[in-house]
Amino acid sequence: MIIALLILHGLLAVALLGAITHQTIGVWTPARGHSGSFVGRMRGVSAPAYVNAIIVFYLLTFCVGATIYPSYRLNVRIVLEQMQLFKQNGAFELKEHLVAIGLGMLPAYWYFWRQPLAREHARARACVTLILAFVVWWSFLVGHVLNNVRGFE
Amino acid sequence: MNTSRLSTFTIVFSIAYAALYLLSVEYNWALFTYHPALESFGALVQKPIDGGPAMYWYGWLTTSALGAFAVAALACAVPAGLGNRIWSGLAWAVPLAAMFAFVYILRGYFTK
Repeated sequence: MIIALLILHGLLAVALLGAITHQTIGVWTPARGHSGSFVGRMRGVSAPAYVNAIIVFYLLTFCVGATIYPSYRLNVRIVLEQMQLFKQNGAFELKEHLVAIGLGMLPAYWYFWRQPLAREHARARACVTLILAFVVWWSFLVGHVLNNVRGFE
Repeated sequence: MNTSRLSTFTIVFSIAYAALYLLSVEYNWALFTYHPALESFGALVQKPIDGGPAMYWYGWLTTSALGAFAVAALACAVPAGLGNRIWSGLAWAVPLAAMFAFVYILRGYFTK
């Protein structure tokens, strides 16, 4: 059951990663004109279209992660401590806190992206999105590395 | 809820949540403790039982969420105009500062 939830957690994280990466690129480097290139299409996405998906995927990924966290605490963290993998352990501790703070940013994130987009919140909208993107990328990479950490012995 | 109050609530919530979460972790203000080995909950902060670990993270989240909700609701109750005086950038600046504070708090893991 835990393995199934871990896989689900990873799949949800991939969906979240894709959505927030597209939105962040779309809001920070919007396309100036029509482009058929891969990068141009990423820059040309409609950033507001991702808001609801990002909130739903963030909440779902968070809930599944919180469900399997006790198993990590009992079965993985103790092994990390025994193996003296301090950096990996610290990276997960940081992930736990960054994700929690990101959760608290979601109401403001939702508000800043409400239609019609308020011009006075443009900077805040871009910054909140960038910070959430960093949180999601950090969490994804740390989770992925820790999932495979025994292979690094 | 009108737009001004919605603005006040969401921005103040984000600010208060980040600050309260940092304080909850630093001073261990967990509303409850989870004992994963026993699969049981206990009120407020409890010590580990029977050699198993005690998890406070869920308690910190709850403390921060309830506290931030109360602070944001109070901010909305203040006479109109407060929402317009709050710089919306605080909704990302305070959480970002809290994130840097955690990097500092956890620096020991990365310097061993």
